[in-house]
Amino acid sequence: MERERAPAIINLVGRNALEEALRIRERFSGSVTVITMGPPQARKALEEALAMDVDAAIHLCDEAFARADTLATAQALAYAISKLEHSDLILCGDATIDSGTGQVPIQLAEFLKLPCIFDADELVFEDERGLLIKRRWEQGYIKVRTKLPAVIAVTAKINQPRLPNVSGIMAAIRKEIKKWGAADIGADLSRVGLEGSPTRFFQISEFHAERQGEVFQGSPEEVINMAIDRLVKLEVL
Amino acid sequence: MDFSLTREQEILRDTVREFAQRELAPQALALDEKGEFLHDVIKKTAELGLIGIITSKEYGGNGMGHLARMIMIEELSRVYASLGFFFQTGQIGMYLLENFGTDDMKQKYLPGLCKGELIIATALTEPGGGSDPSTITTTAELDGDEYVINGRKVMISEAQVCDLAIIVAKTGDRFSTFLIERENQGFDTPRRENYPGLRSIPVGDIALTNCRVPKSNLLGQEGRGIAVAITGIGAVGRTGVAGVGLGTAEGCYDAAVKFAKERVLYGKPIAELQAIQHMLVDSNLEIEAARWLCYRAAWLLDQGVSARDAGDDIARCKLYACNIANQIAVRAIQVMGGYGTVPEYEIVRRLNDSLELFTAAGTQEIMKNTIGRSIIS
Repeated sequence: MERERAPAIINLVGRNALEEALRIRERFSGSVTVITMGPPQARKALEEALAMDVDAAIHLCDEAFARADTLATAQALAYAISKLEHSDLILCGDATIDSGTGQVPIQLAEFLKLPCIFDADELVFEDERGLLIKRRWEQGYIKVRTKLPAVIAVTAKINQPRLPNVSGIMAAIRKEIKKWGAADIGADLSRVGLEGSPTRFFQISEFHAERQGEVFQGSPEEVINMAIDRLVKLEVL
Repeated sequence: MDFSLTREQEILRDTVREFAQRELAPQALALDEKGEFLHDVIKKTAELGLIGIITSKEYGGNGMGHLARMIMIEELSRVYASLGFFFQTGQIGMYLLENFGTDDMKQKYLPGLCKGELIIATALTEPGGGSDPSTITTTAELDGDEYVINGRKVMISEAQVCDLAIIVAKTGDRFSTFLIERENQGFDTPRRENYPGLRSIPVGDIALTNCRVPKSNLLGQEGRGIAVAITGIGAVGRTGVAGVGLGTAEGCYDAAVKFAKERVLYGKPIAELQAIQHMLVDSNLEIEAARWLCYRAAWLLDQGVSARDAGDDIARCKLYACNIANQIAVRAIQVMGGYGTVPEYEIVRRLNDSLELFTAAGTQEIMKNTIGRSIIS
């Protein structure tokens, strides 16, 4: 992949996570820190977040982080979050728009030893430390409760992200973006980047799904038996 | 030579682009059909700080500059030209207030204008003509501490919805510029034109009958009114119209490219036919050329070059961007065949919008006169 040629944007559902964080800050005060790991051009996404008025931005940028899979990415993020003075709530988008695995929030929570709720459509604070979360569950949803701190991965349904205003845009460029490397977060180099990634890509190819229809004719019993025989032959059953 | 935008300008472009897709695209057709002024949308643009983009911070703006404004108008007009045009007209008045108004005027009106709570029109044209300001017959006679203004302005954008108007009137043998509140007795907007384009911008007459304004409402020096008005129309009006033209052209081009990729004839998308590709190439080239003319004129203003000294650059961008808006709309119809004039494809709306741009803030022929003078001087 030629990542340098792709525009650096905030992951779309990441903007929903950011918006939710800003709304929580507006309600309870506190501060919002945004963290991303990526090559130098990822800084642009942080500038966009600063324009939305987050308090601080951290860019994990180091050759040692390169070619990380989800596990090594979550590990690097966990190192960085552990280095922060204090964090009550870690909000993420539920999946990226490029690879879309949705694994990082869960792995991150595991590294931080925090509860993780993903596919969150709605967060309701029952008190300052207790959250009631409406999350997707198959064709419906369930509601779960958790105490802070926690990792919550939100969906695009949770809110509509604000657009930055001109004053925010102009102020963002003057705000500092902290650039942290592996040494800054005390990373074990065997657990980040390619070294820390058990997943290996062998090939990336376009996937074409094609359905092959087959019509069986006869009485209902005959058709059912024909279908079962066919599935057995195809080693589906 | 650096052709890159600043990071602020890039984020602004992306923000305005997203705003236009969110707020304008779903309702552009309905807005055009209704022909109502965009009060609600304008409030939202104010929240984003777009109205005060060339107004100083001390008066409620953010002073991001003329190039930022050009990009904003381009992106809005790409989706719905009427909103881009609102910034063209409203910001002429704001620019004149800031550059020629008294401190009291600036403090009193500019913050409300930046918030979208007030609307300002600029009125020069009269039934006798607009290109030749010497035909102005509206008079302002001093009576004690007040001027008494009588006359009629025509084809004034936002006449029906403005709270304030800047008008040019004769004071003796010369001309002066005044700020008038709609609430003033003798201020009336009796007629709205029914133009085919820019349907959300009401355009009509302002009738002034024994309308009394305090002496302090004079903008700039008495007798220098034409120069005052032309400064605003040049720096802000013509660049604004150019931005609307550029955005309109881009909107037509975007639609034509999308259509050409989707429409299948002879077993393949028509985009693969050279006859179609050549039309798209012509539009693409014209847009690139117009964009750089527009950006350069706005950039010159940001560098502190006066509207007068940048006059021929401003005229070039206005002339060219408005011409290509019309050409590219017609070409989009050719690409789209029978669908091109179906209202839902929104090309006819844009074609109609492009017609209004030929005369706004100075005709195409006046632009040529300005460029011509700079060639032979």
